[in-house]
Parts: sequence; C-alpha cells; structure tokens
Amino acid sequence: MPELRKDPIVGRWVIISTERAKRPDQFGENFDPGPPELTPCPFCAGNESLTPKEIFSIRPKQIPADSPGWELRVVPSIGPFLRIEGELDRRGKGVYDITNGIGAHEVVIETSRHINNMADLPREQILKIINCYIDRINDLERDKRFKYVLVFKNYGWSAGGSMIKHAKSQLIATPVNPKRVKEELAGSKQYFEFHERCVFCDLINQELTSRERIVLDIGGFIAVVPFAPRFPFETWILPKKHSCDFAALDNSSRDNLAEILRRSLLKLKTGLNDPPYNYVIHSAPFRRPKPGYWKSIEQDYHWHIEIIPRLTRVAGFEWGTGFYICPLSPEDAAKFLREVKA
Amino acid sequence: MSDLRRDPIVGRWIIVDTSHPKAPSDYKAVETHSPLGGHCPFCYGNEMDTPFEIDSIRDPQTQSNAPGWQVRVVSNKYPALRIEGNLDRRGIGIYDLSNGIGAHEVLVESPYHHKDITDLSDEEAEKIILMYLNRSQDLARDSRFKYVMIFKNYGPSAGASVEHPHTQIIALPMVPKNVLDEIHGGQKYFEFHERCIFCDILQQEKEEKERVVLENDDFLAFCPFISRFPFEIWIMPKVHHSHFSHLPKQSIANLAIILKQTISMTKKLFGNISYNYIIHTSPENGDTESIGYHWHIEFMPKLMRVAGFEWGSGFYLVPTPPELAAKYLKT
Repeated sequence: MPELRKDPIVGRWVIISTERAKRPDQFGENFDPGPPELTPCPFCAGNESLTPKEIFSIRPKQIPADSPGWELRVVPSIGPFLRIEGELDRRGKGVYDITNGIGAHEVVIETSRHINNMADLPREQILKIINCYIDRINDLERDKRFKYVLVFKNYGWSAGGSMIKHAKSQLIATPVNPKRVKEELAGSKQYFEFHERCVFCDLINQELTSRERIVLDIGGFIAVVPFAPRFPFETWILPKKHSCDFAALDNSSRDNLAEILRRSLLKLKTGLNDPPYNYVIHSAPFRRPKPGYWKSIEQDYHWHIEIIPRLTRVAGFEWGTGFYICPLSPEDAAKFLREVKA
Repeated sequence: MSDLRRDPIVGRWIIVDTSHPKAPSDYKAVETHSPLGGHCPFCYGNEMDTPFEIDSIRDPQTQSNAPGWQVRVVSNKYPALRIEGNLDRRGIGIYDLSNGIGAHEVLVESPYHHKDITDLSDEEAEKIILMYLNRSQDLARDSRFKYVMIFKNYGPSAGASVEHPHTQIIALPMVPKNVLDEIHGGQKYFEFHERCIFCDILQQEKEEKERVVLENDDFLAFCPFISRFPFEIWIMPKVHHSHFSHLPKQSIANLAIILKQTISMTKKLFGNISYNYIIHTSPENGDTESIGYHWHIEFMPKLMRVAGFEWGSGFYLVPTPPELAAKYLKT
C-alpha cells in the first residue's frame, strides 16, 4: 500500500510508492555524462589566467594571487546571474514587483588537483572548504544590500553541473530572501509557537530514538534520510546542537562536519555508481536589526545541509504541484546507505 | 544586468536575464525525439494490456476494452495511490502520515501512437478536453478526494514513460502544497483589494499586450511576467471561474483550440520537444466557488535542467525574458 507522508517543517506531502519495486542498488544506473569535458581545465593549478581574478584563496603568504601554489580559490562566476555593482532599485509594475539584479555569484574551486567529486577529497581539504564558505558568508554579510547567501553544489551533468569536471561549489548572495527559506522559517516558527520547541531538535531526537532512518552519527552531527523525502536517498545532515546559523559553527565542530559530509557523499558514490547530486546549505538569513522581525529565529530555526542524488527525472508534475512521488521508502534507503562501506 | 521579478501570487522571485537573453537557437541541449513505436499498450487491439477501462468516448456499436474508441481512460498500471479503502490519517511522534488513498488514471488521448494533440483535428482535441472534464466531475463526487490534478508529461525528458500521448489524472485526499500557496496568495490579495489577482493579471497582460501569444472568445494565452521557465505559457479563462470542473460545455472547443495552438507554436520553434502542462484548479469538496482563485493551465516546454540553486532556493533563472519569448512564438 502506498503511503502519504507530510514534511513536518513546510507541510509538503509526498507519496511513498514502491509499486514498481526496485531494489535500492538498482537506482544507481548509468548517468548522462553530458557534453565532453572542457580542456584545458580552467580550475587546475597553472591555469589561473583562465578564470576571473580571485576573490579569496588559501595559499602560502609569499605566493602572489592568481598564480599556482594555492589549496583553494574563490573566483567570480564567468556567467553571473546577478551583478555586484549598483544600487538596489525595487519598484512596482501594476500587480508585479521588480528589482534590478544586484547580487554576488562566486565559485569555490575546492582543490588545485583535477578531482571532480568532493567525496574523493580528504577530510582536511573539506574542512578548508567549510572554513572558506564561512569566511565568504561573513564577508558578504557586511554588504547591507544582501539578505541571504545560498551555498550549493551541482555535481554531474543532470544535477546542473558544467563542462568543467573539477570539484567546485557556488555561493550566491541575493537582495531578497528566497521563497524556500521563508517557507522553512515560517514552518518552524509555527511549530515553535505551539510547542515552544524547535521542530528540527524534535526531529533529531525522534530519529535518534528510532534510528531507522539514520545513516551516520558522528561527533555532534547526524546524517538522516528524512521521513518525507522528495527523492530516493535524499539525505540531510543536521547538527545535534541547536543553532540557526551555519556561519556561527564553532571551530571545534567543523572537522566533524567535514567528516560526516565526506562520508555521506562517499556512501552515495560507492553505493549508487557515482550519481549526480546537489547539496544546499539551509541557514538563517542575515539578522540585521529590524524592529520585532527576527525575534524568534534563533530559537526556532536550525541550520542543516540537504543532499539530493539525482537518480530519477523530476517531471513537470512535481515542480508544478510541490507533490512528490518517491519510489523508495526512506527506511530502505537509510538501511542501504548504512551498509555501504564508506 | 538582470531583473528580479516577484510572483505576486506566491511571493517567489525569478531572475530574468535581460542583458544577454537567449534566442531559441541558443537552447542547444534541447532533446527532441521521434517515437520509436513497437508494442504499445495504448494502441488499438492492445486494450487487454491495460487495466480495465474506466471511461471512454467510442463508436456506439463497440464494446469497452475493445477497439473503436477515440479517447480512453484506464487505471494506471503502477498507481501511486489506491482507490480502495478508508482514509486513515495518523501521527508518529512529530510526523503525520496517511495511507495512500486516491485515484491514479491514465487518459489515452487518441488511438494514434504517432500523433500528439497538435496533429489531431479540432474535433479530436475537443474530445480530450471533454474527457478531462468528465473525469474531474466524476472524481470530485468522491468526498474522500480534496483535489483532482490533471497533467501531461510528453517526451522522455519531461518524465513520460510510455510514448503514446497520454495525460494523467490524480485524485488526492489532501491539497498539494503549491496549490495551497497559490490559494493563500490569492486570498490575501483578495482581502486587500477585493479583486481576484488572476483577473488583475489577465487585465494587465491584455493591456500590455507584449506577452500575449493567443486569444479567443473564452481564453487568453500569454508568457507570464513571472515565468519560472523560458517559453512558459499560461492559458487562462477570461471569465472568472475557480474550478476547471465547472467549465461550461460551450467553452470546450475554444480550450481545445487554444491548447493545440499553444503547443503547435512551441513546436514550430523547437521541434518535437518534451513538455509538461498542468491544470491548476481549486480544491474539491470544500468551497463551491472561491473568489480569490482562478483556474488556468501552465504549459512548460522542457528546455533546461533544473539544478540545485532552483530547488534549494525557490528562485528560478529565466534566460529568455517572457516578453521576448512571446515575440519569438508569434513570428
């Protein structure tokens, strides 16, 4: 019998339908490799002149910018959807609202070596990437025009990856709050008003008690397949300690986050034939003083990372309705991922 | 430079590239397809390969589950929901769940394996709409169902698993989240303005003209100012109606024609590409007519891969402004 399950945060219903019964390992098929790789790779050491000038890098002090010897680089996107220059100009047009496209769009080149999947990087390198995300978010927060920084990764062609097959993630600073973020904030606020508890903290406790959807439990973080997933093998990484802000993560916890992220990605790679995937960091917007506005966000919201392997085609139906049909139960997905050696 | 535009209904922002807009020929990765043929459960003579027929429009002397039909509706062979049983909604700790009660039907649009709606005569296309209407009304009579969703996935990259053109109908025991968002947005606007937001959009699009692609006595087709996808088109009834299932019989022909023309226009630009359309309508078995919501069809040609940024943020990047898309479609 199919089951309908409701996401406790945003109230989205999903259908868990295992009618066309596929075994978990059968989801890892051959994935569309997309067009041929771009050569030479602009993200490799030695090819720094092929990218725009760097914004940030981790490199020994004596080595000048935009030359080899770095461990990680951040450069502006060559095809930015938003531009950094100019004043915000928000206006109306009949029933509609418009603003000019002010924002920042940066690319984090995660390693100087030609490695495509973050899952193959060592923990120490992933730690540097996390540190870099936090540095960039803190820097962009100083720009009062921006309300939010979205950190995400598109790996593999069908996940929106590019012809550059070199590990990278992207940061986009936006002058308005994204709708998805607002929905999560509104949902967790509503839960908090009723229960006086954080919905994510309750979720973590319940998952730790039942354990049937837990994939990994490492030093203050869990990786869990959510109760109402949109996609097979969707995985969330949550800090056990309550905090609304990813960028406020203390130094001592970052190493454990790097490890749980690395192992979650490696399990997907090993168990499912190196599938395309996306991940997105869900964190609170910048909380600038605005009377009465951010009163409860620090109590009711809880940052986390959502990882989505792209194993099934998302049809227009899902986008149009927000109603997802997931062909694998999260309990089976979690069991499979737990058993993958990684 | 780009524009950020806010959807006045649900508050979603889209980013429209106005400085380097993409022309139709720039969508290189677009997948067109030609039907492969082969054994098909939706073709004449293979009626026994599908579950039993629920409804059909067929020649008077013919029997169900045999050839002689023009439009045929069967249960989905792999239903995402089951029709039998009582709704059993319960909680597990903080979570909510329910057994999967609902209907999942497939509407075979014509006996012709190789003909999409664009290749059918107007009369044949009308029969599809008539059947949409019949199924909507019939499913709405089941008080367990709160929403009837009609949608079409055409072509492999739009999610169609069977080649023979078909539409799916799903009846749900609850209202999908995006529909609720639209309804709440419409209500909020109504509370403030005492007008339907969709009627206001329709009015503004008619006045500004630049995004309108087709019009007849009953319907307007336009590339909405707040399109999420390039070359997205909405078909909207000009007279306010909250429910598709209340469509007057005399409007069926005009809806069939404008839907057919909309898809033809897109195929003229891009060839036989994959697409989806969804009928957005009000929930059933609740309010009979709601003043803040206005049913319509959203048509989306599959020109792009939706990536992490879009689903993580709810922002959409639109490389061809709708004003320009409308211009290309009309030439």
